[in-house]
Amino acid sequence: MTRAMRRPVMAATGALLLAATTAACGSGGGGEGEGDGTLNVWIMQGTNPSAEDFFADVATAFEEETGATLDVEFVEWADAHDRFVTSIAGGTTPDVAETGTTWTPEFADAGALASLDEYVDGAGVSDDLVEGLVEAGTYDGQLYGMPWYAGVRSLVYNTEMFEQSGVEPPTTWAELEEAAAALKKEYPDKIAVAVPGDAEFTVYPWVWGAGGEVATLDSDTWTSGLDSPEAQEGIDFWTGLATEGDYSSAGATTWRETDVLDAFAAGDVGMAVMGSWTPGAIVDANADMEGKFAAVPIPGQDGGMSPSVLGGSHLSMFETAEDKDLAFAFIEMMTTGEFAQQWGEQSGYFPGQVSLLEETLQSTDPLVAPFAQQFVEGGASVPVAPTYGAVQAKATTSTMMQSILAGDADVATASTAAAEEMTTVLNGSE
Amino acid sequence: MSAGRSAPTLRPLRRTPRRSPLRQLGKGVLVALLLAFTLFPVYWMLNSSLDAQAGHTSSFWPAEPTLDHYWFVLTEGGFGTFLRNSLLVALGTVLISSALALLASVAVARFRFRMRTQVLMLVLIVQMVPLEALVIPLFVQVRDLQLLETLTGLVVVYVALALPFGIWMLRGFVAAVPVELEEAAYLDGASWGRMFWSVLLPLVAPGLVATSIFSFITAWNEFIFAMTMLGGATESYTVAIGLRSFFGVHSNDWGAIMAASTIITVPVMIFFILVQRRLASGLTAGAVKE
Amino acid sequence: MTLQLTETLPRLSRARAAVVRPWLLLAPALAILAVLLLWPLVRVFLFSLQDYGLREITTGEPSWIGLENYAEILATPELWTVVLPNTVGFAVLSVAGTVVFGTAVAVLLASLGTFWRTVTSSAIMAAWAMPAVTGTYVWVWIFDADRGVFNDALMALGLLDDPTNWFTNRWTFYAIVLLNVIHHGFPFVAVTVLAGLLGVPKEMLEAAEMDGAGAFRRFFLIIVPQLRQVFAVVIILSTIWDFKVFAQVYLMPGGAGSNRSVLNLGVWSYVESFGQNRYGFGSAIAVLLTLLLLVITAVYVRTVLAEEER
Repeated sequence: MTRAMRRPVMAATGALLLAATTAACGSGGGGEGEGDGTLNVWIMQGTNPSAEDFFADVATAFEEETGATLDVEFVEWADAHDRFVTSIAGGTTPDVAETGTTWTPEFADAGALASLDEYVDGAGVSDDLVEGLVEAGTYDGQLYGMPWYAGVRSLVYNTEMFEQSGVEPPTTWAELEEAAAALKKEYPDKIAVAVPGDAEFTVYPWVWGAGGEVATLDSDTWTSGLDSPEAQEGIDFWTGLATEGDYSSAGATTWRETDVLDAFAAGDVGMAVMGSWTPGAIVDANADMEGKFAAVPIPGQDGGMSPSVLGGSHLSMFETAEDKDLAFAFIEMMTTGEFAQQWGEQSGYFPGQVSLLEETLQSTDPLVAPFAQQFVEGGASVPVAPTYGAVQAKATTSTMMQSILAGDADVATASTAAAEEMTTVLNGSE
Repeated sequence: MSAGRSAPTLRPLRRTPRRSPLRQLGKGVLVALLLAFTLFPVYWMLNSSLDAQAGHTSSFWPAEPTLDHYWFVLTEGGFGTFLRNSLLVALGTVLISSALALLASVAVARFRFRMRTQVLMLVLIVQMVPLEALVIPLFVQVRDLQLLETLTGLVVVYVALALPFGIWMLRGFVAAVPVELEEAAYLDGASWGRMFWSVLLPLVAPGLVATSIFSFITAWNEFIFAMTMLGGATESYTVAIGLRSFFGVHSNDWGAIMAASTIITVPVMIFFILVQRRLASGLTAGAVKE
Repeated sequence: MTLQLTETLPRLSRARAAVVRPWLLLAPALAILAVLLLWPLVRVFLFSLQDYGLREITTGEPSWIGLENYAEILATPELWTVVLPNTVGFAVLSVAGTVVFGTAVAVLLASLGTFWRTVTSSAIMAAWAMPAVTGTYVWVWIFDADRGVFNDALMALGLLDDPTNWFTNRWTFYAIVLLNVIHHGFPFVAVTVLAGLLGVPKEMLEAAEMDGAGAFRRFFLIIVPQLRQVFAVVIILSTIWDFKVFAQVYLMPGGAGSNRSVLNLGVWSYVESFGQNRYGFGSAIAVLLTLLLLVITAVYVRTVLAEEER
């Protein structure tokens, strides 16, 4: 049986049913620790603009509850994977860390993480966790990553530029191309649609939207679907915006998502695939952008929506943690209840706890609602494999994108090479 | 030629007998081109670091002069800490590696012992080893020593990296000291140790300066080990990886990146220009011993 | 410590001291080299024979696989089409570029008066002093596709219609690296060769000029033979440094692995090790790079030591 890896996450809908059964989960469980330890925590930088204040509050609450001091270190996404790996190799891991959902299985496989099952059961929250995140955090039947937050990417556009060019937000691929053409005509010096070369999560929606797959699992063997005709059609459309339509820019060939964000915030970009967490950051970078942009779900090929990657983070406990009860007390405090909700509001991410997620989904905020819609109806997951982190580190998809965007290879050649490599790495050549 | 003492910058090779104006002009153009090539990156770095508009418009003069980038880099960017760390690491490396290299170079330059050639060969060969080859085992090694994420760990590694070149260079200086001076010291009844302190050491001091500069630069510029060994310990970052991590967060804020680059380059630059004569003579004496 | 020890030796046993002393003097340096360079070198070779991943590092249980890593490397087509040409080709070009340019600069400097020579050599020092990491970022900034001064200037001059991303193409990518490496590396050559040039006896040159030898002939017939050793040292050291180029490639856009066409041995080894957790495989690549350099070292040792022992 082939299990498709694009699984629109039904978590939210399922949540409505589940939430009824799970009563409010008090924070009673935590470790009334032996008092004065220090808990070392790594948190990714840039998720929440007011992270410092947030963690100051958490530290106070944590100390009140457990008597232990909290030592939070902020780590950048770009460096994080290598840094985790070296610290695992060097035995210098923190007690608790935020781990990207695609990394959790990898670190668990290396034997670096502690299983959370008994703690989660003890706290009585196991039924209240967002399914997609639980699945991504499960390795070998055990939960290693506690769902914390998740985000999704949609199409963000500059409303001023759209009005000026007289176009409406696109609902199909053809409309998207027309909009790009109109934008380019009105603003020849700006980027109508940013097609970044070093941002894999902006590529997969088009693969899925055309009916393709990133990778599928058949019994024990992974097969990448990037070279299927459907996937190639999607990649062709997306890269064609840059190579044929010239709606992107030469510089974008080596852009990462942060570069897209910077350019968009500077008002240089008409539309781009951007995350639900970026609106805050855009205004933060350039206050003039306030109220000048909006979002729609990524259009489907002929209407509807293209699925988008559900990315997110877990909180994981490392085997090196001396006081595991204390560590979980922190994890629980962060991922459930008040702090989890506050984090979601501040960062623009969706909480990993079903009962909290529900509230967010009711939002009518124009910069929340389209993302929420995409999250519920058009969320999908990249392959859940311990080797997926290696695929990312190998930059397979970025390599493909860059060679197409730079004109070094056509879509067929590049996607075949990428699929071959992804299949090899996913199956673990070791 | 005893390059250890001659000052190459002071003595022009020869006065050209005929000074044709055309030739002078040609030379002038060449010098101008050379200056442009060597200094343009430096100039562009300074220019961008002082321009509030850097990254928006490119102008050859700060369009909107400001020191904000520097302020930002030193406060938010944490470059004060990085500078301090780099300074500590560099000083530690210089002191230890110079001392060890001096002792070793005396041995290879002054004594004809069995296996001398092999020792010299070894010193040369370890110098050739690519750093990438050493990253993995040294990482494991330093981990076993419990020195990961510490500045001490870095110093230990950098001493090892700086030693071979230091020995190689100092060897030339020691060899350039006339043996007769040593003999005279012995005749005066000095012990070997006393001779070392009062005769050899003062005479090779210029060479020590040159090697010190090299070890300083090694420690100040090194990138790959600092990146792997310091890992997540931001508070122990040296300037090189501090800059990289700063670049990771502010990859489009070119004004700030250039300000940070300036801050970590200028001290070395001034230092280099001040000691350039010593450096030149040190290189020749060490590398090309006669 | 070593000094006091030797001082207490009775004067009569100076002969014996002469045997022991060099080893005492060498001991600390050799100990450090052995522990931190030689032993790791042995270890990297041992790792290269293992399937050495994160799990093996944390548990410490080796899993020997013989020469499999090497077989895989040699069977990788990119090794022959991309990685090796990039490494070797780049080293050749940059050594040639650095040495030729550096020598030319040295000749120019030698012919200048004191004032201009001081000015120019100070500028050269400034280029030399720029750390590789900063230098790389400055070049990246100059060649940035959308806002870099290079594209802006070309467009202002009408030589370019649309901004070009110079980092995506293998040739332009390495052209920038080459510029960076030469800019950083030529000062060493210029300063060393200059010092050598100034040591060439004036009489020889004047005699040659009397005989009617032109500037070029004088350079190749008198200066080059006189500076044979200087050139040997400069070429070999540059080769070693240029083969080991890492940060200058790694920090460029696409240089850390996402642009496969610009991989070189060093970066490949690093990304396989720390990105893919395949430390054994990465070690094997590193061993190959080391072997490549050892061949060059052998040449160096022959040239330099052979002359010295004479």
